Amino acid sequence: MGAGELSRELKVENEYGIHARPAALIVKEAGRFSAEIYLEKDGNRVSCKSIMGLMTVEGFPGSRVRVSASGADAEAALDALEALFVAKFHES
Amino acid sequence: MREITVQALLDHGKDTLKLKVLAGESFLGRKVQETAMNRPGLALTGFFTYFAHQRLQIFGLAELTYLKNLSVEERRSRLEALFKRQIPGVVLTRNRRATREMLELAAAYRVPVLRTSMVTMDFVNACTVMMDELTTPTKRVQGTTLELMGIGVLMRGDPGIGKSETALALIERGYSLVSDDVTECRRTSRGRVLCWANNVTRYHMEIRGLGIIHVPSLFGVSAIRRQTELDLVIDLTVPTGEEDRTGVAQETVDILGVNVPLITLPVRSGRDMANIVEVAALNQKLKELGHDAAKELDDKIIDRLSGVGRGRR
Repeated sequence: MGAGELSRELKVENEYGIHARPAALIVKEAGRFSAEIYLEKDGNRVSCKSIMGLMTVEGFPGSRVRVSASGADAEAALDALEALFVAKFHES
Repeated sequence: MREITVQALLDHGKDTLKLKVLAGESFLGRKVQETAMNRPGLALTGFFTYFAHQRLQIFGLAELTYLKNLSVEERRSRLEALFKRQIPGVVLTRNRRATREMLELAAAYRVPVLRTSMVTMDFVNACTVMMDELTTPTKRVQGTTLELMGIGVLMRGDPGIGKSETALALIERGYSLVSDDVTECRRTSRGRVLCWANNVTRYHMEIRGLGIIHVPSLFGVSAIRRQTELDLVIDLTVPTGEEDRTGVAQETVDILGVNVPLITLPVRSGRDMANIVEVAALNQKLKELGHDAAKELDDKIIDRLSGVGRGRR
């Protein structure tokens, strides 16, 4: 929550919420950026580069989470993660 | 301190406190402002100086037998004096029934009345522990926690630095996993930090290239611990060349207001991190033991010297 941190509210729109597979996809996507990226829900703030962390936030379908990033490529990281959420984690 | 309500005690103590609501169900939101209990024996005799009205009031065998020996009018007026002092709640132990006056006063003064099947001493002990758990500050920390021979070690560091891999190597050496990557912490009343895992991911680990593994299935139940008291924090970092080479200066990190010893370990490829973490934990144990032993020995010597000095005089 420091200075220079960007954040966006994203909605979990896939069928089962943030379970192992979506969590892995988020980690993979976040790992492409050097920015520090966090996901926050109900006061729980976890790193987007941690699968174990993401599975503890209870991102059930329809819930909203706040994703924030700080660092040189923060904007691009948020774009990439937003695209992932919008694509419903590529679940068919 | 976090606030607790009588409802919170009821919810969290479902199995341990064996509480049942007898009256005043709508007033369970009352806050318990002091995490101790009071047996209102003296208050029932009419003596209210130093009456601990912010505490839960426990009626045991003595209080209830005393009340029984009073006339109905007397009983009502004594109880009313108690209820009107804004007490957070009343608990009757040994499954005793509430008197009719209690039930009426509960509604009149908006005080919940509960009962437990436990005997007074057991209830007071269990409830004290519960209140402590519910009121001390908690925090979620990004890091992996292990227990090595009774020493709680929290490993922190950027994602991908090798926390889980190091933990896995230590588990293989016979040490125990508490939590991987996400650690819940609570400050105890003894001024220590207690660590445990999130309920959902407990005893699971994520290892790059393997995915998610379940530690007790692979390594047995001795490879896990439900919780541990934190003795040491180890930060795994990218080498900077600025590391402490002597180990003389003991750094600490503030977790929930507790100063926990901190060691910063640079990670280089080919370095056996598990081995170093193991030695760091052992060294920490030695420091703790050694410190006490030296002090005891010193006290003993000072004692002897002063004795000898007196003898000479």
